Amino acid sequence: MSATTAPPVPLSRRVLPLVMLSPAVLVTLAIVFLPMVQAVWMSLHDYVLFRPKNFDWVGLKNFTAALQDPVFWTSLRHTVLWIAITVPAQMLLGLATALLLNQEFPWRGLARALVIIPWALPSVVIALMWVWIYDSNYGVLNDLLLRLNVIESSIPWLANPDTALYAIILTLTWQGFPFFAVMILAGLQSIPKSYYEAASIDGASQFRQFWHITLPGLAGVLMTATLLRVIWVANSIDVIFVMTGGGPGYSTYTLPLYAFVKARTGLDYGYGSALAVSFTILLLGFVILYLRRAGRNIG
Amino acid sequence: MKPETHKTRTLLAGLLTATALTGTAQAQEVNFWYHFDNADNPMSSLVEKFEAENPGITVNAENVPWNSYYDQLYTSIVAGTGPDAALVKLNAQPRLMEMGALEPLDAWLEGWEGTSEIQDDLLKLTAASDGKQYYLPVQYVILYLYYRTDMFQELGLTPPTTCDEFRDAAKALTRDTDGDGQTDVYGFGFRGGKGGHDHWASLTLSREGVGFGPGELTSEAGVAGTQFVLDLFQKDKVFPPSAPNDGFKEIIGAFQGGNTAMTIHHIGSSAGMVEALGDKVSAVPVPECGGDHWTSFGDESTAVFADAQDKEAAWKWIAFLSSPGNNTEFNKATGQLPVTKTDSAGWDVHEKRFVDATVASLPFAQLLPNTSETADFANTVWPVAMQRALIGEITAAEMNAEIEALYND
Repeated sequence: MSATTAPPVPLSRRVLPLVMLSPAVLVTLAIVFLPMVQAVWMSLHDYVLFRPKNFDWVGLKNFTAALQDPVFWTSLRHTVLWIAITVPAQMLLGLATALLLNQEFPWRGLARALVIIPWALPSVVIALMWVWIYDSNYGVLNDLLLRLNVIESSIPWLANPDTALYAIILTLTWQGFPFFAVMILAGLQSIPKSYYEAASIDGASQFRQFWHITLPGLAGVLMTATLLRVIWVANSIDVIFVMTGGGPGYSTYTLPLYAFVKARTGLDYGYGSALAVSFTILLLGFVILYLRRAGRNIG
Repeated sequence: MKPETHKTRTLLAGLLTATALTGTAQAQEVNFWYHFDNADNPMSSLVEKFEAENPGITVNAENVPWNSYYDQLYTSIVAGTGPDAALVKLNAQPRLMEMGALEPLDAWLEGWEGTSEIQDDLLKLTAASDGKQYYLPVQYVILYLYYRTDMFQELGLTPPTTCDEFRDAAKALTRDTDGDGQTDVYGFGFRGGKGGHDHWASLTLSREGVGFGPGELTSEAGVAGTQFVLDLFQKDKVFPPSAPNDGFKEIIGAFQGGNTAMTIHHIGSSAGMVEALGDKVSAVPVPECGGDHWTSFGDESTAVFADAQDKEAAWKWIAFLSSPGNNTEFNKATGQLPVTKTDSAGWDVHEKRFVDATVASLPFAQLLPNTSETADFANTVWPVAMQRALIGEITAAEMNAEIEALYND
């Protein structure tokens, strides 16, 4: 009779989880949310760092200025190309690598470990390495293409506006594909072998098995990894900054890089913040998609 | 900065100072920023000598990478985490003054016996627009033209004295030396990236009536200067194809590696040049273009910041660097020229031919305008406009108009 109502949870038990969580929440608030709010606040002001006394409210002026700024649109176009080529290229290369690494062959463990190297190297090291690979005087890429008679004279890959962005995209593809490879490899191993056995008994070809079992089995992993990569790749400026600094001209400017250059080198923190906030809003769609997926998985 | 933040900062600073005062009164510290290209610099021996002569003062000398030196400096000053003293260039002075970041040195200079040792012109040259002296000169250089003596000799050329001769020489020197159909030596190593405005300026600002004043860069002569640079790259192809992105490392590397036959830099790189090329390298003043000469006076001074924790100690340290003897040691490290009369008289660090080229360039050495815009010109406007012009996105006239607008709008 008396057992119909659950005994009240003591206050200490209810508060405990909150107390345990609070350090993480406080740190996140301090190092993520506070700077975010500050960036939004700065974007609504005229704030040039070498005139620290002037901090005038200008409302949306920086945002309207951005919309009329041709460099904003150039940078946005490059950002779209940057994401639209890099992420699918990384995914396809990652998928191919994962399928290979999922086969039985000697030294497979070693191959799996080695494939991580591009992902494990610091971006600055990768950028400097590829600057040398692309160098028009000493670069190994030009040397190779010249020897194979593919080109007639050295191409300054990073100084030519037609090739600079794509050259950096190739570098970033190389850097990021191991992430996909590792994620997909883990996904592959979670697909039960019995599915393949059943399919082959039914006479399904290798391709049919890949199309109807492997790909659907990987869909969840692919979706999550792609969303994460879109967000990371979109924000990644270190490789571009080291390789070309955005040049020649505006040839390799992406929006985050433009925001960074405006704020850090131009010292115009108001306008720089407005660029960063605009880009965050553009990226928000992907962030929400990711958060919903992440939330669903946990739920 | 918002007033509340400022107030909090002042309060914090006050508290810190109070703690420092009540704590150890004799612990004085000087945080000093500088930028040296060569990794094995003897800064630590200068610091040791200073600390031995000035017991109680500790100097923390930090070598900050050149590419982001001023980005770091400005942001750290605003954030309140800047150094107490630093190596600074004259073109940063208007901006630093606008920020209220500099401490006047006049009172100290008056009472210092070393003041009369500094070469007179240099103190005048570094005086601020408000009549005060915020900078203490520590070294200087003048840009000149490096050339490969062996290549000139082989082709029977003489070092160019005018822009026309320069162009002819560059064309002749650009060639395929090993017969594989590829150009492997380029006439001139042009610096299209950050810091290359000195190259452009020598070929453009030298022209009659061309400077940064209203209508000067957009005049016929001004546009002709930039067009001359573009033609060298686009038509004559005498710059390496990587020129639009090339910076200090690239132009020096290409010259030392034999990929270019001429380039513009200063005596600071002469030791490396001689090490790589021996007597196959020499220098002459930059060519005369369009009726006159223009070359860049490369200044470097030290300054004490208004927020320095111990200004007196910071002054003692920068005065130490510009004193006879110490100034020689400092300049041996940077490979530039000393500012004191005694050190200049006894200077034997560089090969004579490079000192001669520097001295011969002195009469027409110039500084960029002493205004706040120059920082933007050097850091962003010039590099982007030059690169866009080199790759054909904008014309010479459009490039000059952008610079003109920066200075005159």
